[in-house]
Amino acid sequence: MRKISVIALLAALAFPVVALAARDKNTAAAHDKDAGLAAKPIMVQAPVPEAESDQTLRAMHDEMERSRTRLQLPGVDKPFYIEYRLLDIDVRSVTSSFGALIATNDTRNRFMSIDVRVGDYHLDSSNFVSEDGFQGFLGTTGEVGIDRDYNSLRQDLWLSTDQAYKQAVTQMSLKQSFLRSLTKPPEIDDFSQTTPIVKIDPRTEPDWTARNWEEESRQASAALLKFPQLNATRVNYYLVYFTYYLMNTEGTTIRTSRHLAAIEAALDTTAGDGMPLHNFYAVYVAKPGDLPDPAAVGQSLAQAGTQLMTLRQSPIVSDFTGPVLFQGAASGALLAQALAPSLSGARPPLSTMPAFDEMMQRMGGRSEWSGRVSSRVLPATMSLIDDPTLKEFNGVPLLGNYEIDDEGVKAQRVQVVENGTLKNLLMSRRPGPEFQTSNGHARSALLSDTRPLSSNLFLQASGGLNAADLKKKFLDACHDDGHEWCLEIKTMDNPALSSIRQEDFSEFIGAVAGGVASGERIPLVMYRVYVADGREEMVRGGHIEGLQLRSLRNIPAYGDDETVFPYMQNPSGGFAGTALGAFGSAQGGIPSTIIAPSLLLDEVEVRGFHGEPRRLPLVDAPPLTQ
Amino acid sequence: MTPTHRARVLFRSIAIFLATGGFLAAAGAAQAPTPAVLVAMKDELDRSMAAMSKGDPSAYFISSTVADRQYSEVSGSNGALLTSTETRARWLEVQTRVGTYQLDDTHKLADRQPSWTSPGTSVVVDDNIPVLRREIWLETNRQYRAATEALIKVRTSQQVQVQTAEGNAPDFSREKPHVSIGPRVEIKVDRKPWEEKVRAYTAAFSKSPEVLNSIATFTALGMNQYQANTEGTQLAFGQVHYRLELYVQSKAPDGMDINRYANFDWLNPKDAPDDKTVFARIQIMIAETEALDKAPLVDPYAGPAMLTGRAAAVFFHEVFGHRAEGFRQKDINEGQTFTSKIGEQILPDFISIKDDPTEAALDKQMLLGNYAFDDEGVPAEKVQLVDHGVLKTFLMSRSPLVNIPQSNGHGRRQLGFVPVARQGNLIVSSSKAVTNDQLRQQLIDLVKAQGKPFGLLIDDIAGGFTFTGRQQPQAFQVLPLVVYKVYADGRPDQLVRGVDIVGTPLVSLTKIVATGDTPDIFNGYCGAESGSVPVAAVAPAILISEMEVQKKETSTDKPPILPPPGHDPENKGQRQ
Repeated sequence: MRKISVIALLAALAFPVVALAARDKNTAAAHDKDAGLAAKPIMVQAPVPEAESDQTLRAMHDEMERSRTRLQLPGVDKPFYIEYRLLDIDVRSVTSSFGALIATNDTRNRFMSIDVRVGDYHLDSSNFVSEDGFQGFLGTTGEVGIDRDYNSLRQDLWLSTDQAYKQAVTQMSLKQSFLRSLTKPPEIDDFSQTTPIVKIDPRTEPDWTARNWEEESRQASAALLKFPQLNATRVNYYLVYFTYYLMNTEGTTIRTSRHLAAIEAALDTTAGDGMPLHNFYAVYVAKPGDLPDPAAVGQSLAQAGTQLMTLRQSPIVSDFTGPVLFQGAASGALLAQALAPSLSGARPPLSTMPAFDEMMQRMGGRSEWSGRVSSRVLPATMSLIDDPTLKEFNGVPLLGNYEIDDEGVKAQRVQVVENGTLKNLLMSRRPGPEFQTSNGHARSALLSDTRPLSSNLFLQASGGLNAADLKKKFLDACHDDGHEWCLEIKTMDNPALSSIRQEDFSEFIGAVAGGVASGERIPLVMYRVYVADGREEMVRGGHIEGLQLRSLRNIPAYGDDETVFPYMQNPSGGFAGTALGAFGSAQGGIPSTIIAPSLLLDEVEVRGFHGEPRRLPLVDAPPLTQ
Repeated sequence: MTPTHRARVLFRSIAIFLATGGFLAAAGAAQAPTPAVLVAMKDELDRSMAAMSKGDPSAYFISSTVADRQYSEVSGSNGALLTSTETRARWLEVQTRVGTYQLDDTHKLADRQPSWTSPGTSVVVDDNIPVLRREIWLETNRQYRAATEALIKVRTSQQVQVQTAEGNAPDFSREKPHVSIGPRVEIKVDRKPWEEKVRAYTAAFSKSPEVLNSIATFTALGMNQYQANTEGTQLAFGQVHYRLELYVQSKAPDGMDINRYANFDWLNPKDAPDDKTVFARIQIMIAETEALDKAPLVDPYAGPAMLTGRAAAVFFHEVFGHRAEGFRQKDINEGQTFTSKIGEQILPDFISIKDDPTEAALDKQMLLGNYAFDDEGVPAEKVQLVDHGVLKTFLMSRSPLVNIPQSNGHGRRQLGFVPVARQGNLIVSSSKAVTNDQLRQQLIDLVKAQGKPFGLLIDDIAGGFTFTGRQQPQAFQVLPLVVYKVYADGRPDQLVRGVDIVGTPLVSLTKIVATGDTPDIFNGYCGAESGSVPVAAVAPAILISEMEVQKKETSTDKPPILPPPGHDPENKGQRQ
């Protein structure tokens, strides 16, 4: 096996280090040993896999059995739970700019992640963050052989199970001594029980179809040659097939194959006054063969280019407080940022480090809805449902569909909000104060720690207005509030897609991370709509401030539309509640959708551009074509 | 080492070396057509310099570099294939210096750690000049803006801070331009046979229950570099390098990590090591691992020690070579061991040391630190660092010292880092050489003379030099890996483990009393401030009159609780 380097993970996830620092420890609650009914650990013999010929499952089974029955340090508890996760992944990625190829990569890898717990369901070695801990020579995760053979995998599983057990034993002892120092230890269980599932799906072999992806990406990106005022562009094709294996000592055995194909493009420019501007384009489909052809992609890119050129010429928005209309996908993007951190019912882990708690707070890791079950959180005409079991909606495929979650729990439809009242939260097997058992929402990317995340999230509302009535209502509200014009947002920014360089991304972190607590949102395509004649005028440079989840308790009007907003959810959740915390890219994000109507919010605070624009280049751009 | 996508291998095939060497000898001879990348670079350099030299502050120097990297990697572990990949990418770096050669935006501020990493961007691999120019234009503007901001800070700090003597050295040296357009290199790798090989090599390791984890990695790199600057330098040159690395991990019963590592390097596919050679090396590595697992821990000891050639080579690289790197003499945070010692005796008078990147091979064995031009576009030079024990000069990049105003072609870096003075091929020679057998006898004589029961024979040393990508040790850490006790009474040598050299290793160098007569070569990657660069170190065996060692701390992570699945007596027949 080979250790997975942090650098590789970072590159793959393209997200802040802080999120990774909490890896493996990002789980909740603990309890004093003698305070309550400790659940009896269930240790069943894992079933012999049905797919006899799958050496991967055989190796996992055999090594797990050996560990379950014989892995024990003298005078120390045996493990009560062992879990193996393995990801077999095939990726093809092709990147072009202005009709020329930047890079093409074909990679095939297998990664494993091992979880071993000591203690019992009530109090175990997980959900605890400490500065000290076991420093193993190999670790509990790693890159393993891609031959799908038996011997090498068993060797690797053996080493990592050993490391995971020693880590668990050390964590347990640190945790118990920490709990003794608390006056009132938490009473929530560490781990919930669930029904074991055995489900071995056929393994899907990669099918790259007969298409020439390098040539397609060149052709598609050439459409942007029409825009000499663009600075840089990146058009990335990302095709992935993977098989996920999960096995645990409770008897669960899962083998499931999934695939995804994406085109993600970023383009940037500079306005005449030096303001940097960008735009992006993204399309996600289930299979490479479903991707649009290069002519169609080129057309969409040209639209994004035209839009950016208009933005470049448009006036800068001034400070504004009043009604703002979020149209179609913009409302989905807003909900992805505002709702996500509050949907999880799991508790944050116990920590010996005050700094860690502070960091969680600062990064928005606290749920605004935690502890508010049965109270009204949305307008009484609205409901919120997360349904991973749905494959499509009005003929549109839903990316967030799955049958079994990443902890081996059956996917369930969850009514989070019913008629405005909070009813339920999304749960993994990490219990929380209000709900203890999993409802099949544990998700992860690239074997990151599972977290309760949304899948296909529906904001359903009765009494929505048609487009014309909604606009009228919007302009009336605008007029009543005494404005000449109000703002309409058609696209929200997505820093994970629109940053071409790490440097740009860092600027986003600077801009957005400070706004975690202040509810900062970044619109990308925004219009002034005039009350007098309904005229729309694109504006640039505005940030929304103070738009928190509680702003959604009263929504004066909304559309009867149901726009599907597909996106890659950021698995790490750093800077939760911001665009950075919500969005990832196809490379390491979690496929998700939000279905929501257009939303009219009143009292939205938009801050105009107040920074110093950078000075323009001393040298003009060279010609883009020969 | 695990090569990163930015890893850069400076290496020249002999054929290329001759071609370029011939060109250098006959400057002005007919040139190959200018590659598209250089055309694009030149266009943008001219345009940018015309405007930025009149800017405020004004640029006085702009350079751009494109590294076109073709890379294959085939890696196996514990008998299975880990990865098999092939990539091609181009990386662009632009440097825009504002101010003057004497004082510019890169001037080191006393209270601030310099940034070792250098910005850059990936660019198109197609030879599309307009798109390349667009990327170069963007990057040049970005760097100019960053440089102007940095210069303001430098000027402000100049007014308030006391300047050190070495701080008065100019920030950048003036160098003659060089124009050299070499042929483009390309690698063609059939990965299939290597996939089979890495499986077989690592399966061979798995036969030993003591080997917990094994990795074998084959890499092939074809690198074409393009450099141009506003002084008139224009370079295009290519290098290829093939490498096989073997790495095993084990644990002694007390938990101490035992690692063994071996590497093979070659330039021409036909010179790849054959299976017989590799399997023989694997057997040696297994034997060493098993012996080290059982070896006793060393007791604290002070007395005579002998280093074999490869151990001595690493030792010189770490304890002398790094201290001879010019930029360290400028940095007040450095030990500056040698800063004021030019002209002084620092080593015994029979020892001479040069660094010569222009040597491609020694006795038909390749030297990994060979290159024609450094990463600042300066031709590599042979530098006599120590002559008969007397320190003569330092390895220099274009960051001058007060008394050494020019580069000697040692400004090196891994892609993505800022070049600093680094070693190439560090070659130690001796005028007091005896055969290795005689040297061993001298060790025993010394042991007896000092009244000690035994002396130490050090056969392998880990440094920043031989890191394997897992955990990079400190650049100057010197940790003996394979050490034997050599008894005065004729008992067989005894392997010991956990040896840590106490005190300043440098002192040991002054206590060298004799050397062997056979130079040994160590090829590896050296990790330091400017990233990982390929180097070689060459030295004969050395005899040191006194070295002090103590016990190294062991890990608390004990060996695995259960036996390996393939060697579990209770699990017979499970191996498939």
